[in-house]
Amino acid sequence: MGEWETIRRDVWETVVTPCTCCGQVVARRLWRTEVEGEALRFCGPDCEELYRTYVLPRRARLESGGR
Amino acid sequence: MSTDVRTESLDPVDLTIVNNALLNICREMGVTMMRTAFSPIFNEGLDFSCVLFDRHGNMIGQAEFCPAQLAASLFIVRWTVDELGVDSFEPGDVVLYNDPYRGGAHIPEHSVIRPVFYGEELFGFVANVGHLAEIGGKAVGSFAADATEVFQEGLRIPPVKIVKRDENDMELWQLIMANHRTPRNTWGDLNAQIGSLRVAERSLIRLLDRYGRDFIERAAGQLLDYSERWMRSEIAAIPDGSYEFGQAMEDDGVLAEPVWFHVTVTVDGDGLVVDWTGTDLQVRGPINATYGVTAGAVYNAIFHVTEQNIPKNSGAYRPISIIAPPGSAVNVSYPGPSVGGNTETHPKLADMVVSALAPALPDRVSAAEGGSACNFLFGGFHPKTGEYYANYHLEGGGWGAKSYGDGNDAVIVKNGNCRNTPVEIFETCYPLRVLEYSLMHDSGGSGMHRGGLGTRRHFLVTQGAEVTVNALLDRTKEGFGAWGLEGGGPGGRAAILVKRQGESEFRTFSEAFGSVSASKFTNIVLWSGDEVIIESPGGGGYGDPLMRDRALVEEDVFEGFVSAQAAREVYGWGSPEDG
Ligand SMILES: [Zn+2]
Repeated sequence: MGEWETIRRDVWETVVTPCTCCGQVVARRLWRTEVEGEALRFCGPDCEELYRTYVLPRRARLESGGR
Repeated sequence: MSTDVRTESLDPVDLTIVNNALLNICREMGVTMMRTAFSPIFNEGLDFSCVLFDRHGNMIGQAEFCPAQLAASLFIVRWTVDELGVDSFEPGDVVLYNDPYRGGAHIPEHSVIRPVFYGEELFGFVANVGHLAEIGGKAVGSFAADATEVFQEGLRIPPVKIVKRDENDMELWQLIMANHRTPRNTWGDLNAQIGSLRVAERSLIRLLDRYGRDFIERAAGQLLDYSERWMRSEIAAIPDGSYEFGQAMEDDGVLAEPVWFHVTVTVDGDGLVVDWTGTDLQVRGPINATYGVTAGAVYNAIFHVTEQNIPKNSGAYRPISIIAPPGSAVNVSYPGPSVGGNTETHPKLADMVVSALAPALPDRVSAAEGGSACNFLFGGFHPKTGEYYANYHLEGGGWGAKSYGDGNDAVIVKNGNCRNTPVEIFETCYPLRVLEYSLMHDSGGSGMHRGGLGTRRHFLVTQGAEVTVNALLDRTKEGFGAWGLEGGGPGGRAAILVKRQGESEFRTFSEAFGSVSASKFTNIVLWSGDEVIIESPGGGGYGDPLMRDRALVEEDVFEGFVSAQAAREVYGWGSPEDG
């Protein structure tokens, strides 16, 4: 189960963080969670869902030589 | 049993009235902008977009503006409100920013966002995204085709309040204008953008007065759901599956090497995922796309192949998921450059998504368009006025042939919806004379349906002038033309050529000035008597050219769109079947 975390940036940090899965900007709050033992940061629970239902199965298919 | 009035469905007439009212507020903003801006890029070129948002960050109104800006505004407004905090907005504030790493399409595009309060309570936001013609950086016109970092592309502004409670922050204005080459235009153009927000705010409040806040919020919410349902039903009609497409761009302006892009479109029931994994890492030159550009290209493509009457609000975008790996050429990371990603990369990304779907939607797709805005930027001191000027000029090219008809001629790339600047305006404002502006025969890709034609424009630098020029074009090399579909041929290539005074032949800028890329260069000085030719690329063709209607081939030859030689050699014109 993930949780929201508010991003704190120092004044000299002028760049915002992208989501690990989709690449969108995470402007203020990121969704911190663990997937298959790996700590990951997403833009929100929907993106975690996309990661679980699309990215991981696709990666597994590609690794086993499928499309 | 009582009905909850907040969830009760409104009838289609009410919804249509509210939808059109929101659309018209956006149009009214656009007219204000067009009539009050200082620069031809706004009052002639219309390179801006006006949008309305609710307080949750949903786009509830847009009109016929530039697709890339409209899509980027989805992220620009939501992320800015997230970053600053919704409670930080007060009546009369205007937030300005152009940071390409925060949703923007590229650095020249400046967004202004104003909260709209109804009574004491926040209703939503009005926003205007506009391409300022000059924002500093290494190249006049702020389109540095050989930039390797964002700092060379112009002044980068994070979200800041340039107006606080209807009072200009003049120190901030001065800081910005001190970094632009044409500060008077910056003042006029940004104030036109900000003025359009005030007009929209007034109109929105009138609408809320007339129908009541509750009614408008309910209608806007139901319109979002209606668009989502409609888009989902369109997607559900596409056969499930994964569809892929790959293509390369000729170079990035810094290294003379192609850049590879790859997309996988996965349709699953009533949702789809557009995944750009497999695209090259971000490149040194400025053809990288920002997240806003890539997402905009995806939406643009999906809107091209679905029903055109779906109201374009945030609901229509909900069923589409996008994966754009950070640090790749489709999602540039700081401090990578990206000014050309919007004009040169967006149209190709959109065409790739359309072409990937060709096996699933053969009746709705089109071949690739010319796909280069042929960005030509120039500036200097005007010999007649002594004032410094800068201009951003773009050319229309040919669009791809459709499965049901020929491609359009001389239309701006599909990230924009910009108009052609009339020759008279051009010659009045700048020390360049237009010697020729024409459609180019044989530039449309061959096919049963022919690709649209590119154009040729021939400039002369006028008496007493010294002009510094920059260009960012694409599709100039053999093998990189707009691709055809189903046996259609590629579109004609783009070119930018120069002839110095006293010379007899046109040459590429690489040959004449030694630039690494013949299509992407900065800060080349031309003098009176020098001439430049810009040729925009043609669109790809669709289907076997031998299947083209003979009457259309004859008409093309008669009109000069296709040469008699090409008609014979490519279309088989004059064969025994033609009698
Ligand atoms: Zn995400």
